[in-house]
Amino acid sequence: MTDVAHALVPSHGVDGASCATYIELHARSAFSFLEGSSVPEELVARAAELGQPALAILDRDNVSGAARFHMAAKKAGLRAHIGAGITCTDGFRYPLLAENRTGYQNLCRLITRMKLRASKGEGAATPEEFAEFSPGLVFLASRPDDRLLDLFGKKNVLVELQRHYNRAQEARNQALIAFARQHQLPLVATNGASHATPQSREALDVLTCVRHKVKIQEAGRLLSLNSERHLKSAQEMSRLFADLPEAIANTKELSDRLQFTLADLGYRFPRYPVPPGETMNSFLRKRVEEGARNRYVPNAFSAELHRRARRQIERELALIEKLDLSGYFLIVWDIVEFCRRQNILVQGRGSAANSAVCYSLGITAVDPVSMDLLFERFLSEERGEWPDIDLDLPSGDQRERAIQYVYQRYGQLGAAMTANVITYRGRSAVRDIGKVLGFEEPDLARISALIPAWGWTDPKETAERQFREAGYAPDHPLIAKFLDLYMTIQDLPRHLGQHSGGMVICEGQLDSVVPLEPATMPGRVVIQWDKEDCADMGIVKVDLLGLGMMAVLEESIQRIRESYSEEVDLAHLPQDDPQVYQALQNADTIGMFQVESSAQMSCLPRLRPERFYDIVVEVAIIRPGPIVGQMLNPYLRRRQGREKPECLHPALEPVLARTLGVPLFQEQLLRIAMIAANFTGGEAEELRRAMGFKRSQARMREIETRLRAGMTRNGITGQQQDTIVQSITSFALYGFPESHAASFALIAYASAYLKCHYLAAFTAAILNNQPMGFYAPATLVKDAQRHGLHFKPIDVTRSDWKCTIEEYNGENWVRLGLNYARGVRQQAAEAILRARAGQPFSSIQDLVNRVPELRKDELRKLSEIGAFNFIPQIPTHRRAALWDSELAIRPAGPLFVDSLAPADESPLVPMTAGERLNSDFRGTHLTIGRHPLQFHRETLNALGVTPARELKGIPNGRLVRIAGCVICRQRPGTAKGLLFLSLEDETGISNAVVMPDVFDRERATILNNSYIVIDGELQNIDGVYTVRAARFEPLHVAEEAVPSHDFH
Amino acid sequence: MFACIHGPAAGLKIIADAFSPWFEQTAPGTVVFPIDGLQRLYGSPHQIAQAIAQRAGRTVNIAIAETAESAILAARNFPGVTIAPQLDHLDLAGLPISEEMLETLDAWGIRDLQQLAQLPETGIAERFGEAGVYLQRLAKGAIHRPLRVFQPAITYDDRIELDHPVDLLEPLLFLIARILGEQCEKLQAHGMSAGEVAVRLELDDKTEHVRTLRLPVPMRDSQALLKLLQMDLEAHPPQAATLALSLSLKPALPRTIQSGIFLPAAPAPDKLELTLARIRGIVGENNAGVPELLNTHHPHPYRLVAQQPVIADLHPPNNHQAFRYFRPPITARVELQRDRPARIAASGIQGKVLNAAGPWRTSGDWWTQTAWNRDEWDITLTTGALYRIYREPDQRWFIEGAYD
Repeated sequence: MTDVAHALVPSHGVDGASCATYIELHARSAFSFLEGSSVPEELVARAAELGQPALAILDRDNVSGAARFHMAAKKAGLRAHIGAGITCTDGFRYPLLAENRTGYQNLCRLITRMKLRASKGEGAATPEEFAEFSPGLVFLASRPDDRLLDLFGKKNVLVELQRHYNRAQEARNQALIAFARQHQLPLVATNGASHATPQSREALDVLTCVRHKVKIQEAGRLLSLNSERHLKSAQEMSRLFADLPEAIANTKELSDRLQFTLADLGYRFPRYPVPPGETMNSFLRKRVEEGARNRYVPNAFSAELHRRARRQIERELALIEKLDLSGYFLIVWDIVEFCRRQNILVQGRGSAANSAVCYSLGITAVDPVSMDLLFERFLSEERGEWPDIDLDLPSGDQRERAIQYVYQRYGQLGAAMTANVITYRGRSAVRDIGKVLGFEEPDLARISALIPAWGWTDPKETAERQFREAGYAPDHPLIAKFLDLYMTIQDLPRHLGQHSGGMVICEGQLDSVVPLEPATMPGRVVIQWDKEDCADMGIVKVDLLGLGMMAVLEESIQRIRESYSEEVDLAHLPQDDPQVYQALQNADTIGMFQVESSAQMSCLPRLRPERFYDIVVEVAIIRPGPIVGQMLNPYLRRRQGREKPECLHPALEPVLARTLGVPLFQEQLLRIAMIAANFTGGEAEELRRAMGFKRSQARMREIETRLRAGMTRNGITGQQQDTIVQSITSFALYGFPESHAASFALIAYASAYLKCHYLAAFTAAILNNQPMGFYAPATLVKDAQRHGLHFKPIDVTRSDWKCTIEEYNGENWVRLGLNYARGVRQQAAEAILRARAGQPFSSIQDLVNRVPELRKDELRKLSEIGAFNFIPQIPTHRRAALWDSELAIRPAGPLFVDSLAPADESPLVPMTAGERLNSDFRGTHLTIGRHPLQFHRETLNALGVTPARELKGIPNGRLVRIAGCVICRQRPGTAKGLLFLSLEDETGISNAVVMPDVFDRERATILNNSYIVIDGELQNIDGVYTVRAARFEPLHVAEEAVPSHDFH
Repeated sequence: MFACIHGPAAGLKIIADAFSPWFEQTAPGTVVFPIDGLQRLYGSPHQIAQAIAQRAGRTVNIAIAETAESAILAARNFPGVTIAPQLDHLDLAGLPISEEMLETLDAWGIRDLQQLAQLPETGIAERFGEAGVYLQRLAKGAIHRPLRVFQPAITYDDRIELDHPVDLLEPLLFLIARILGEQCEKLQAHGMSAGEVAVRLELDDKTEHVRTLRLPVPMRDSQALLKLLQMDLEAHPPQAATLALSLSLKPALPRTIQSGIFLPAAPAPDKLELTLARIRGIVGENNAGVPELLNTHHPHPYRLVAQQPVIADLHPPNNHQAFRYFRPPITARVELQRDRPARIAASGIQGKVLNAAGPWRTSGDWWTQTAWNRDEWDITLTTGALYRIYREPDQRWFIEGAYD
């Protein structure tokens, strides 16, 4: 009787409990990663609903959700107490709350210490570390252990009681109460809330199963005992603790004691070490002066520009000094200088291109003064937002070198990458829930396939309908539960990843601002906040982004230097090059940055770029923002002179004149909001932030309401108001800042220039930096061949690892590199090069003997693609090489290991042209020989198929038949269900558009065939020719096909 | 010459056995046998093939060739009946060839047996070794090998067809005893016991009545087995008269045990099983067994199993007091005061509640149609008894059991 009698405490269900203030001081959010099922915003909203004045979230070993918690609480008028549940090496988890800034800094350092020595996702602090970092922290004791008092000090310990209607828990509570009485410690009630509402318990159970990698049917006691771990009202908690009213009262007392919030973060802008006698401001001024002298050379033609530039620079420097941001600019300048010294191509993008200081420092390449760009978009005192400089670097090793430089310069605790919160989306949600609910793998694959993989989602395609069509009854209890859970866990954090390039720098004390964790990549450190959190917390960062085209440009310049003996300086490319604009106007842009997609190609002949600013517009206009906002067609019509340029409102004319009255850029929309709705700088900032991230539809709606109210006050109403609002809101996700478009346009121009003038170098470089861009290497090769470039095949006696340039008959040809031999490792290829450097190979047996790194499969691959055809002493066809390779890879035995006896003559028949083509595609994914369709041209002619090249000459409205290898299938979310197809034949590329009803009817033919024939009406307008597809047929071609770029 | 039959596995051995006592089961769906002695019975190879086809039906392929391997290749790759097959243009995939070798030969442009046969033998030997030479000889039809003659597996089963439908159990048991006796003797002769015994009754109403007993320990005492079957059939009698019966014993290695000197003598396993079977016969199959603790928060965290379960480390609730479940729980009327039980009345249990602890709330299995959710209370009555009571969501009260 003793044990049960122990639990016979006065009943919880006592009426008349006084309703004191209760504050939940031990909530857990979904940032406990699989241990909580509500995001901080949900917890805050529920706490506010329950009338609680404050809330504490203590996530497991992290403060990743703290910034979002802080922002949500600030908005809801709650105080956000920061803390964390820290795992100890003794196996327990200790709930800690930050009482003051020292406490918060200690918490961050404690987490950093334990995380950095463990592998990703693990780590535990020792009791000694708890003691070391205890100042400023309050500990909630949930077990009676005298040692805790020594660790944290008696005044910092409160005894935590939770009541979830659990018999065993109540027995523990009695022991805790006795412990508290014995040591005269205050009791505090919490509910250990893991979710906002009782309904979220099911999602929590699912996440628990994911964490333990078990099916829910087998999870047993790992699951929640009941649904009581949610945020409860003061009334309910008071009733639960009616026998211990002080435990409720102490929540308020402790909350009052916890003075720290993230508003008191203590973050300081980074400092840059300057020489003695200099301040950061003076040092920056000198660097800007130096730069400006090179950038803005005063002469007769540009005297006015020069004066404007000086004024602008002075204005910017004054603001930078006022905001104490010199250190930040110097840090970015230092990175750019490092890149320059190391010959790493670097260019700032984004809003930094609005700054003349950035231009002078060499951070950006766009002159904001001559382009009349809006500096306030980058930096403004009024907005209180700190600058965010993005640097584009060549993707791959070069970018890695820049990142490593930052780490070396500022130390492990001084620089870190920003996090990327990986959340549950579509298929990841399907897989995890499906596995937990016990769905079989084939079912999971089928259900995953139901999740739309492309942008366009048919509004009729509800989850229920999709499930029914796939053969699942949506009203079956398990399927219904699946759907319900699928919706619930959308957007819940799954784990913390690393942002591709965002870096935060903080002069040696970053770990006191936010905890640091090791990244998956060795030597990398990641902070526990993502980009937006950093922005919310006012932490400056620099993005070191990898851009494939930068790598292409860099490699092109190097290859031009080596093979053409010419020096190309991207900063001084000839402006207004006629070949470049001709190519752009003809949409002959395969491989060119930002202007090569089929959508861009269909726009280029209509926009007909004639000068640099047209490219800026072109880069910005083919975006979902302008398309959804219905700005594309009006702009093009006005450009072609078919429509009169008209502004949305006369007051907006100064803003919109340069884009013919059509708003295209973020800067324009900000100015519109300021002029039309009297938005202040701060409101404009909020508008931009809401536009930049899809964090809350509610936030967008709220801003729209304010926007409309402002416009109404200014007398802008009705249709005019709707048009302006639509213009602004359609930029929600994808609107481009003008400065960003200008930076991209520079790269686009450079890529076009290099392609037009140095095709071999550009092609070799772009082939060496795959995957990137819109087209597969096979298409890039065919396009280059149509432009007159010749290729040489992979050859073990000549090829390097990468594609190279060889001079032949006075022309530059591209030699394919061993990197295009699929399945051949770089390590093996380099071993071949080393062996070859000493002495040429005399036979395949010789090669095998001297390159032991080469595996059997690699040898066969190389034989099959003809890479051995040029070794002396063997017949020059692929099958002969295969015959010899097979002998060479058989172990000869110790007596014959050095034998170089020539192999017997091959009895095998050489491959036919078709077989060689298939081997090329299988072995290299491309062919430098004839296009597959060239083998079938006679048949195609007989079928009445028009080659792609001839479509241009056929009048609009004529019925045509086209055929080719599908190289691209796109169904953009903005195109209302239209599907765009690109077909390639040996003469070029033809495009087709498929209406939704035709797509529904012909879906299988379109998606399941590599080669197809399309019948339809040709739309040949303004030099853009597209077939409006009516009928599809598979084209039966035995040859392999170019890989298609689908639904990206 | 050899004949090969290739097709659905069932019955192939019987067909082969009908033509030759020496046959090879090359694979579950392939048998091959010599036909040299059959000419006098059936005539030409074509006539032999027709005789086989007549017996085997249309679902199989039959091939007759000079060598066993050629016959197998032809039967596996050509439909219907094939005599002296032309294998030259047979696809290489039809050979028993490794994927790697097939890929290599495909890359060489070698697609059929003739192309393979024409390659220089030394070249093949150097490149593929013995396996390549074997395949090439196979392609040439040059493999001559002895058959791996089929040895049937030993079974312990028998079937008796009855002259008249039998309604009563006793005559059936008489027949079962006869089969059991024979099969148990056979088991003993092979040094085996039975791990499972199954009886199949073919009934007058065209249905079957199958009973399978999995024995807790291997046994071969025919009397004990008969008794077990008798009790099982008494508990689960067939629904119609029996026309035929089959009985099969699944062989298992006999249990060898050595009793410890100081261990108390336990009942012999076969005797114990008989006793348990009797108990199950009385209380019902699902109401007797060993309780096995389940990994769940469910209020009834156990189930009954036939054998002692392996104890998993489930960390059961830390109750130091034994709890006696009432099965089924007793319906009760409970009076509440301030939401707490104040008085209870149930069959044989009633009185004022002195103390009540609770509610203890549990819920689970929410993803099934048998989700549960309830509030429990521990109560003491003036009698000093300590009970666990609970309330279902529909407000009905029950007494779950008593603490000892």
